Amino acid sequence: MPNTCNSMSGRDVMSSQIQDLMDKAIQHALTVGADFAEAKGEDTTTRNIEAVNKETRTVSQIRNMGIGVRAYWGKANGFSFSNMLDRESVLRAAEAAVRIAKVSSRKTLMKLSLAEVKAVKEKKATNASRHPKDVSLDEKKDLCLRQCQTAMEAGKQIANVRSIFGEYHGTIYYANSEGTDVSYEPLLIGLTVGCVAKKGDLIVDARDVHGGTLGLTAFEEEKHTPEKMAENAANWALEKLKAKPAPAGKFDAVIDQSLAGVLAHESFGHLSEADFVVVGGSPLTGKMGQKLGTDIVTIVDEGLPQNGGYNLPFDDEGVPCRHVEILKNGVLTHYLHNRMTARVLRMEPTGNARSQDYSFEPIVRMRNTYFATGNHKPEEALSELKQGIYAIDTAGGQVQETGTFLFKAIRGYWVEKGEKKYPLRDVALTGNILELLKNVEAVCNDLEVSSTPFGGCGKIEQRAYVGTGGPHMRIKDVQFGGAR
Amino acid sequence: MEEQLRDIGNKAVDHAQKLGAEDAEIYLYMENHTSVKFIGGIFASRSKAVKGFKGTIARIAEPWIKKKGIPIISSGTKAGVGIRAITNKAIGFSSVSSLEESRVLEAVEEAVKIAKIRPPDPNWVSLPDPRTPNEKGGIFDKRVADLGVDRILEMSANCCVVAGDFDKRIIQAMSMITADSIVFGVVSTKGTEVFDKGTLFSAYIGTKGKSDGEEVSGGDFILSRTLTENVAPIAQSASRKTVECFGKRPLPEKHVGTVVFENESWGQLFSVIFTAGISGYNVQENRSVLKSKMGQQIAKENVSILDDGTLPEGVGTTKMDDEGVPRQKTPIIEKGVLTGFLYDNYAARRESRESTGNASRRRYPTAPYSNQPLVRPSNLILEPGSSNLEGLLSEVKNGVLVKGSLIGAGHSNTVTGDFSVSADNAFKIENGAVVHPLKACTIAGNLYQALNSMVAIGNDSRTFGTVINPSVAIEKIVVST
Repeated sequence: MPNTCNSMSGRDVMSSQIQDLMDKAIQHALTVGADFAEAKGEDTTTRNIEAVNKETRTVSQIRNMGIGVRAYWGKANGFSFSNMLDRESVLRAAEAAVRIAKVSSRKTLMKLSLAEVKAVKEKKATNASRHPKDVSLDEKKDLCLRQCQTAMEAGKQIANVRSIFGEYHGTIYYANSEGTDVSYEPLLIGLTVGCVAKKGDLIVDARDVHGGTLGLTAFEEEKHTPEKMAENAANWALEKLKAKPAPAGKFDAVIDQSLAGVLAHESFGHLSEADFVVVGGSPLTGKMGQKLGTDIVTIVDEGLPQNGGYNLPFDDEGVPCRHVEILKNGVLTHYLHNRMTARVLRMEPTGNARSQDYSFEPIVRMRNTYFATGNHKPEEALSELKQGIYAIDTAGGQVQETGTFLFKAIRGYWVEKGEKKYPLRDVALTGNILELLKNVEAVCNDLEVSSTPFGGCGKIEQRAYVGTGGPHMRIKDVQFGGAR
Repeated sequence: MEEQLRDIGNKAVDHAQKLGAEDAEIYLYMENHTSVKFIGGIFASRSKAVKGFKGTIARIAEPWIKKKGIPIISSGTKAGVGIRAITNKAIGFSSVSSLEESRVLEAVEEAVKIAKIRPPDPNWVSLPDPRTPNEKGGIFDKRVADLGVDRILEMSANCCVVAGDFDKRIIQAMSMITADSIVFGVVSTKGTEVFDKGTLFSAYIGTKGKSDGEEVSGGDFILSRTLTENVAPIAQSASRKTVECFGKRPLPEKHVGTVVFENESWGQLFSVIFTAGISGYNVQENRSVLKSKMGQQIAKENVSILDDGTLPEGVGTTKMDDEGVPRQKTPIIEKGVLTGFLYDNYAARRESRESTGNASRRRYPTAPYSNQPLVRPSNLILEPGSSNLEGLLSEVKNGVLVKGSLIGAGHSNTVTGDFSVSADNAFKIENGAVVHPLKACTIAGNLYQALNSMVAIGNDSRTFGTVINPSVAIEKIVVST
């Protein structure tokens, strides 16, 4: 198709235009006095398709292009950006970054220096079997419609079905005045189906979701066909119509991979982000080398996980993403760093500087955070649970700087003598992560890491795509908030 | 700026028609954004007192932020367009982060292409007809638009000093001050061509205190269309809210009864859950328990709620919504009776009614132009009652006071109204007075039941994003520590 060819060559022009403007921005920042300057360029596309009850509701495409510039001067740095991709606008952003650094430098006593890293020059391509950019919109739309069809037919009590397909891809560029010049092609797809079931005044919901740095063949696998996912979501919603409220109090619990992921990311991962450690805001400050969890607990953060998730070769300071064991056999062994925090704490940079897009300054962020695999069999973890709650999946959670967290499991079961007795409605888990890690009794061998382009993690008003996961785990004395 | 946006809007509309779109709507947006954040400042005057530095010499050596504060400052311009192209009742949406003509026209082509391959949407009727926007719209305060990085940095720093000086047990602060000036507009084939501009100023400060091994935290903020010259009072109140939590104790037993929610805490639950429940679209989609409750008593008689997009100085006040429909006043609950839902054009036309001017594309931190409109309140107001917070407390024999930010409010069940949140700033109430702070507690209830057991409503209304509400006292809430 001539159209496709045009847009391809359009992209190439864009690519060299962005890289050229980035170079100019860096040069200009140095000219007006910066000690060090870096630029992030971006040309990414996000597509979303939403179907509700057999109707295609939304089809959208978002193209996001722009350049962010950060300059260091004296003791501080400054950040500015522009999505007007002309020379004048980008140079103005470079100047603003230097000016901010100068203003800021007068006001701070802590010199922001950067840990030394080797300059890297590399272009990383992403190969996927049936990359979303090569698959028609029609076929993606059908994934959603197939989910709706299957779920609607699952029972009369299914009142509403919503399916969303999302994709994010393009190219991200990074360059700095030390000679680093890298680019990579982010890729993330996801498919999710949510069902609302209704009986009288009672309304419940359930969902299934699958995603990661994958091609469209991901939805051909038996476990993740649109039909299978829709069937799951519908059945789980119908089951919740019969569910009882979860009791409040302390119980032993088995949690699934998705909930383990949120625990690893939200409750522990954020505390290990070194920007909060540097300022003494994290309860992990000064705890390096200390035993914080049971021997079987290992928590990893990395850019290129083997078991699914979001592939990220470089961070937004051009540093290759390292495989980091934050907690190893219960002992705190690493924090997550950008170049500045690594320098302050005299540690190695880990490649954890990330920004939502070119219009945000990079801050310390996680990549794919998960509990490493253990030896326990999942069925044993459950059969050994004398009395307690099997908590499954979560729409997210929240954590305070002190380590206090709240997660909401989407589903759950009351378990007695190792058997699921009855389903539970929305179950809230609360507690403090540092206490919880000491109560992990079993870590299973069924590690899964997943990531989707829906939402992502929020920190200091920025969102980032992350992967989370873990295996099934059993934990004693978990505080459940219960329902009304 | 408006002229440039208007010109691009008209070119884009023409291009869409040329490509075969029956209708097209171009949303144009431009924002100048400046933000200054300080993470973890420790205070000069505080460290002097503790470490025994010698008076003025140390003051000169350490102006205010001691070593560990990290400033993050950003300033820049974000602009773009969102295009809806319609062919045969199918809507194609495409957006691009650019105002450059060639990029915008490319995005128009994408939108038309998507519309052409989509099946028709049976619920689609048409784009909104052109209407005259309200005379008064968003407040534009030149002082906010012109607020430079230097000045914001000064304010931010001052906040940290004031917060630290408030009490020697304050060990840390995080501040965030932003100034935005925004121009947006809608141009469509229907003849809509409307623009508005406004400013937004926000300041937040969070502090952390430590004493005898106990760590506590608290925060406060300002959100307004105009500049608040002196933000120091929120720094003081953030520190006050922090230190009042020292000496936390657990609840002797699970509390099932009256809970007084301070305005900020209630605002979080109110905005997350009620906003979803009164969306006409969610009602149509079976995603609200309010479906089929119109005209019924769903709350106590003292409860009245309305959405007012014309409220002077309201954070959500604009001349028109994000589809170009004038903002208006919409009663939602009058004396406990459900009287209305909110609509954007899509949901309204679907049931042959008029949009209530509640289309919104603003979903932070995404750029508005990259989002399609959804039903959202403008300024959703819970009408205040007559007593202040102390007055609410005085009526409570045995209960709990919840203040500050709730953990997990965003994860409430917006369909059923169930919430289960955790609070770090809660207090035990006995015989009308606060007796001691509580260890982190879980608070569970249901928002719709709460409307029926809202025994008292305060007079201390504040703005929290798109909602404005006072503190409230609610019965039958479960609290455990």
